[in-house]
Amino acid sequence: MTSNPPSLRIGNRSIVTKRGTEPAVFRLRAAFICGLIVVLLAGVKLVDIQVINAEAYAETGVRQRVRTVELPATRGRIYDRDGEVLATSVDAATIYADPRAFRASSTASGIALPAAADAAAVAASLSELLDMEANDLEERLRRDAHFVYLGRQLPFEVGEAVQALRIPGIGVLTEPKRVYPGSTLAAQVLGFTGIDGEGLQGLEQRFDTVLVGEPGSLVMERALGGLEIPSGTRELIPATVGTDVVLTIDRQIQHAAEVAANEAMERHNASGAGVVVLEVASGDVLAMASTPGFDANNRSLFDGDTYRNRAATDMFEPGSVQKVFTLAAAIEEGLVSESTLMDTPQAVTIYDKRFGEIYRREEKEFTLTEILAGSSNVGTIMVAQDLGADRLDKYLRDFGFGVSTNSGFPGEAAGMLAPRNAWSGTSLPTIAIGQGIAVTLLQLASGFATIANDGMAVQPKIVRGTVGNDGRLAPVSQTPSRRVLSPRTSRQVRHMLEDAVTGDLATGGNARIDGYRVGGKTGTARKPNHNVGGYSSKYVATFVGMAPIDNPRFVVAVMVDEPKPAYYGGAVAAPVFREVMETALISRRVPAEAAGQDLQRALVDAQRLNRKHRETQTALVATALDN
Amino acid sequence: MSAVFRFASRRTVTQEPTKPYLAVVIDPPKRHVLLFGVTLTALICAVIFGAVTLNALAASAAVDALRLDGHVGDAERLYAQQVADVAALENPGRIREAAFELGLVPAGPARHLVLERNLPVDGAVLVSEQRAANPDPLKPLLSAAS
Repeated sequence: MTSNPPSLRIGNRSIVTKRGTEPAVFRLRAAFICGLIVVLLAGVKLVDIQVINAEAYAETGVRQRVRTVELPATRGRIYDRDGEVLATSVDAATIYADPRAFRASSTASGIALPAAADAAAVAASLSELLDMEANDLEERLRRDAHFVYLGRQLPFEVGEAVQALRIPGIGVLTEPKRVYPGSTLAAQVLGFTGIDGEGLQGLEQRFDTVLVGEPGSLVMERALGGLEIPSGTRELIPATVGTDVVLTIDRQIQHAAEVAANEAMERHNASGAGVVVLEVASGDVLAMASTPGFDANNRSLFDGDTYRNRAATDMFEPGSVQKVFTLAAAIEEGLVSESTLMDTPQAVTIYDKRFGEIYRREEKEFTLTEILAGSSNVGTIMVAQDLGADRLDKYLRDFGFGVSTNSGFPGEAAGMLAPRNAWSGTSLPTIAIGQGIAVTLLQLASGFATIANDGMAVQPKIVRGTVGNDGRLAPVSQTPSRRVLSPRTSRQVRHMLEDAVTGDLATGGNARIDGYRVGGKTGTARKPNHNVGGYSSKYVATFVGMAPIDNPRFVVAVMVDEPKPAYYGGAVAAPVFREVMETALISRRVPAEAAGQDLQRALVDAQRLNRKHRETQTALVATALDN
Repeated sequence: MSAVFRFASRRTVTQEPTKPYLAVVIDPPKRHVLLFGVTLTALICAVIFGAVTLNALAASAAVDALRLDGHVGDAERLYAQQVADVAALENPGRIREAAFELGLVPAGPARHLVLERNLPVDGAVLVSEQRAANPDPLKPLLSAAS
């Protein structure tokens, strides 16, 4: 192996100045010290940044780079019992402006900045789109503020149109908006939400925490200028959609109830009306109508008084309808039966107070059925006296009077039934005939449903259940039913109620429905005068009934407030009952019990035609055979 | 030649090196420097290219994801709007109004019936004695023809 020739390399040197000193070394040392100081300073700053104020700097960095966008949760829908949408949410556009863009300004260094756009011109261009006066818009654009709304919850297309204009200083946000496809349908039951989506009234308020859902968030990195960095951090926590609520309301029956109530209110110049339809077996509220109503999509156009759900929140003296409960209690106690004959005078006097009859009639013996059918005050009071105050009080409370039905509707009234120890001498006769007691329409319907359900009281409910993200219906818990009357007593009362519609003395003849056996009771009560005491000349007309009477499926309760000039329950409320009950029976496919006259006629005609057709066929055959 | 060396050479007057200025070194063994350099460069280039490509693909996918998110958002908005529109169109009140505008009148009373037997094809209802003799109203004519 041949080795390469040795090469040279530079060795160590010594730098010596003329004066024998070493200035370079000194300078190097000075430079080293300066460098060391700089490094130390940098180190101190690094410690400050990385250790002492690390959190604050990290936050500042995140703030500058990362943006968190809150994703609003979509509010749950409200459905009727068949899954028809009663309330839902859609995206809407909210238009805002930064008024600083519409006025000239200057920077901190004194550089003048012109306005980005002319407020008047912008106002004019947006006026038509936003359906607002240009002057109003211009005034908003000239406000001394950083942010003003120009319009909220506008149609999404309006937002897109505004965005397309690319006006500096004008922005568009997407917000959820609550809509009610039925407009006025069940408006008082559903209630409404505020502009920020919070439940304010009705079931929207009652189930706000269920419907509202949980907002999500989107964390993303943004570059200078606000553009998102596509490959940057992106953390999405999806919003949890609110739970849907399924009501027991049937949209068809609800509509029929509202139409009938509206027509009755107009026909009788009434100040309002209410209708409740209950399904007997389940206690489901199939309809709860109140008039005058309002359009939930444009509620600002309506008086706040129309928001009230009269059927659940308004109390009134029921009048003669209450007699049913008094007589039912007496039958249950074995004091009387439907065929018991009673000698009823024209009037009775109790504690110096005279109670007479509303309808003139001859003085003779009447059965209990006739007493109810004829709505006899005297007969009912006589029965109530036999029953006694204690037992009447007990039964009325068992029927659910004096306490809220807990149907699930917010603000439901409990009615007024004075404690037994506060009853005066005339409380028994007055309460027995439906005065001195205040009830809600829902309580009345519930009481009748107990009679219809063979004496078992089922708590009325307006919410069937909730539907979560799994899409399954979670039914609401059902309160156990309780027995108030025996089935035998219930059957007797139902027969009496049928007679109150079909009998000779019936006051509820207008409630008859062709093809079905119907039972019910009218009520006509004077309204108390709260200013001067006593009663006013205004009336509340009621009718509560059930069908089919042998095996009742539905109870319909009707209340018409201050009808005039006619004010009797049989004339004012019974026709409403007939219309609503007929719709309920048909839409829920309840077979007709007895063929009505029209139907019988149609069947006879069909049979006759069939016979004629067969005769013709026979003749044709005979002719053919002959030939 | 380094700056320090040049600086020293200008300022040095008397230079008495304590050690030999030049030293003999052994020539290092020959290596494949070029091959090593090319390989290293290629590797670095590949790594850079791969990283840039993956980053570009990620960015492209992120843009696609954003676009799809937008589509999903639009579709959800449209669906919600259409649900509301359909529900509004099915509103019984609106249907009733539309029917009146079309000149329709409210139907007469309808009833659901529970029939004891199925109706024949032509819907005719037989009286009981005829039913016993001829269960099907079309049968006599067909029998006669045969």
